[in-house]
Amino acid sequence: MGYRSLLSFLICSLLLAAAAPAGEIDPEGVLRFSLGGEVSVLNPILSTDTVSSAVEGVIFTGMVTFNESLEPVPDLAKSWDVSSDGKIWTFHLRRDVKWHDGVPLTADDVVFTFNSILDPKVNSVRRSDYIIDGQPIRFKAVDKYTVQAILPKPFAPFLIHAAMSIIPKHLLAGKDINTAAFNRKPVGTGPFIFKEWQTGDHVTVVRNPNYYLGKPLLKEIIYKIIPDENSALVALEAGEIDEAGIPPKDYTRMKAVKGINVYESDVLLYTYLGFNLANPKFTDKRVRQALAYATDKKQLVNLILRGLGTPAYAPSAPISWAYSDRVPKYQYDPEKAKKLLKEAGVKDLEFTILVNQGNKEREKAAVILQQQYKKIGVKVKIRVMEWSAILKIVNANKDPKDFEAVIMGWSLGLDPDGYSIWHSSQYPQGFNFIKYKDPLVDKLLEEGRTTVDKGKRKQIYAKLWKAIAEDQPYVFLWYPKAIAGVNDRVGGLSKPGPAGLFLHIEKVYKKK
Amino acid sequence: MHKYIAKRLLLLVPLLIGISLVSFFVMHLAPGDPTSLFIDPNVKPEELARVRANWGLDQPVYIQYFIWLKNAVLLDFGRSYTTGQPVIGEIAERLPLTLLLMIPSYILTLLICIPIGVISAVKKNSWFDNTFTILSFAGMAIPTFWLGLMLMLLFSVQFHFLPAVGNIVLPLITMTIGSLAGLTRYQRAAMLEVLNQDFIRTARAKGLPERIVIFKHALRNALIPIVTILGLSLPDLFGGAFIIETIFAWPGMGRLGVQSIFQRNYPVIMGIVMFSALLIVLGNLLADISYALVDPRIRYEKSK
Repeated sequence: MGYRSLLSFLICSLLLAAAAPAGEIDPEGVLRFSLGGEVSVLNPILSTDTVSSAVEGVIFTGMVTFNESLEPVPDLAKSWDVSSDGKIWTFHLRRDVKWHDGVPLTADDVVFTFNSILDPKVNSVRRSDYIIDGQPIRFKAVDKYTVQAILPKPFAPFLIHAAMSIIPKHLLAGKDINTAAFNRKPVGTGPFIFKEWQTGDHVTVVRNPNYYLGKPLLKEIIYKIIPDENSALVALEAGEIDEAGIPPKDYTRMKAVKGINVYESDVLLYTYLGFNLANPKFTDKRVRQALAYATDKKQLVNLILRGLGTPAYAPSAPISWAYSDRVPKYQYDPEKAKKLLKEAGVKDLEFTILVNQGNKEREKAAVILQQQYKKIGVKVKIRVMEWSAILKIVNANKDPKDFEAVIMGWSLGLDPDGYSIWHSSQYPQGFNFIKYKDPLVDKLLEEGRTTVDKGKRKQIYAKLWKAIAEDQPYVFLWYPKAIAGVNDRVGGLSKPGPAGLFLHIEKVYKKK
Repeated sequence: MHKYIAKRLLLLVPLLIGISLVSFFVMHLAPGDPTSLFIDPNVKPEELARVRANWGLDQPVYIQYFIWLKNAVLLDFGRSYTTGQPVIGEIAERLPLTLLLMIPSYILTLLICIPIGVISAVKKNSWFDNTFTILSFAGMAIPTFWLGLMLMLLFSVQFHFLPAVGNIVLPLITMTIGSLAGLTRYQRAAMLEVLNQDFIRTARAKGLPERIVIFKHALRNALIPIVTILGLSLPDLFGGAFIIETIFAWPGMGRLGVQSIFQRNYPVIMGIVMFSALLIVLGNLLADISYALVDPRIRYEKSK
């Protein structure tokens, strides 16, 4: 007996050692992140900026979360099931979860969270995620630990939206959520407890010893606001912060810095050149295809991203489960481009590309495209405008809109649904601001979001990407890579990927 | 005198209303609106319209203005769109840090630029003058952001002497060097001009020691243009310095102001505009009153 327990003790310690070398972890470890902008509110149903979300990510948790491959996995809900008609989703909550103030989490909190988002008086722009064809999803507490979501019709992206972080009913019920003091002093269910927020300077969170997935290894995390990316790099080099994003121009230099590990990962983003299809210059598909042939995407990636990216050919990203490579690619071929333009009877094509000021990558892309298109006799003018001014033009509720072409980017959701970007109903109000209209694409988009079976959806989206790429309403330019530098005293990182290095923040530690 | 001050204070009311009116409408002329921040393919346009309406932005601009004015009279400047916090609180949080950086920088600038300017003028074309002339031009030519980053690389990365961000020393040095160059040149020019005046020649002819000529007769007169320039830049004291605050991660007014403009965060923009307008007009009033106190030739009472 004694022998066996000794053996199991040894095995256990070995296992532990493999997870995190014993003696290496500093129990007083403090991790310092840099944030590129100001934190606005620490309430997940209100915040819309990535900076606030980064901090909320360690304070709050949702029913569903995402793994390394961005697939939905259980979190506050230990499991869920869907009715055969795809309309009723039942979530079974964990029973061991407590808010940071000690009150147990129940189904009421979940229902309260979603009902608050649906409340028109609450300034949450997430509301439309829970409204399907004008009808809201109904949330119901079946018992203390069971929540039901009743959908008006099957809607595949729902599971992604069910991942919304949950806020405490006992602290927010009856309060004006838009202005609640809670938004500056949040209480959540996550691995870290809010400690202090000094406006514009930093936010500090401390370890939650009662976290349901185990006590975090770090004692504290400090989010330091450093708006300038060069300053953040200097602070990383000086050891004042432990992590910072690295722009491509500093990649080689930072790789050589001792004590810093540099990680690259793919992200769900793409940059494109979009044409206003309401403009007669671009109505002929051959003109758009010609411009696609005239675009040397490899050159763009090499010159702008210093090779830290990949050419894009479809409105999805290779790391998405719904990506398909079987799309027309229009590989760089200026001769073919010229031929197509001739076929279309287009002479002396001239158009203006809008780019937003301050985005160096897009500004450079405009200049390089200007040169590339000059080779096929197409004249490009560039207009650099402030971001809000560009949005005003492309979002104007009128037809046609006042632009010819624009360089922008989309950050893709975790669900492949591209309805709001490509469906013809999303013009002139909506994000199909280029007036793209194709009956097959519309049909595939509708099918894609109402089909729940993942295998079937994958096939639908493969067809969709092919149809859109064939039409070239956008010339898809590139997928960037996210590059991060991390101090080598930080351990317990996830493998580099779209979900980030700090996916399991409770397992991250500082070495002694 | 009291009558004059009362009259000027009364005049402030239409002046501030005028400033608010112009700023409010100009601000709304800028393209875009605060909900542009939420642009995301998953956010439906009707949600943006709903949030706009919650903020009262669906009303005509002149009605929005009257609502704003009515509240502003009661010292309620509304709440920031992004944080939901009262505008006055947002400003109050930033102001101390701004003053903490700006006031010492002002004092340091004065302490350094006056002696250098004076010595340069007195010893015109000497090695001292030439050295500081070159340094001043270099100082004016160097962009603040570059200087800031170089100081950070030197003191934080190379020598580990000072933290790169969140410490006051480096932003203070950068700030001071930035304003030093120009003011030194002004001081030198002002001093040179005074030194060529007749009364200085007279003072010297009387046989006064050079020390007294320079410090008592020349310097006091040469300080007047400097004081004017400093007075004019007083609002900067409260406005903060956007670039330096950004580089050194110093959460001051400059960052709040510029960020609010890009976000079209109307209540915060108006709060900052009105706050600075009030400071400027009050500053002018104080200056005018102090002229009367100091200079017997200026009187504000009606002469009968």
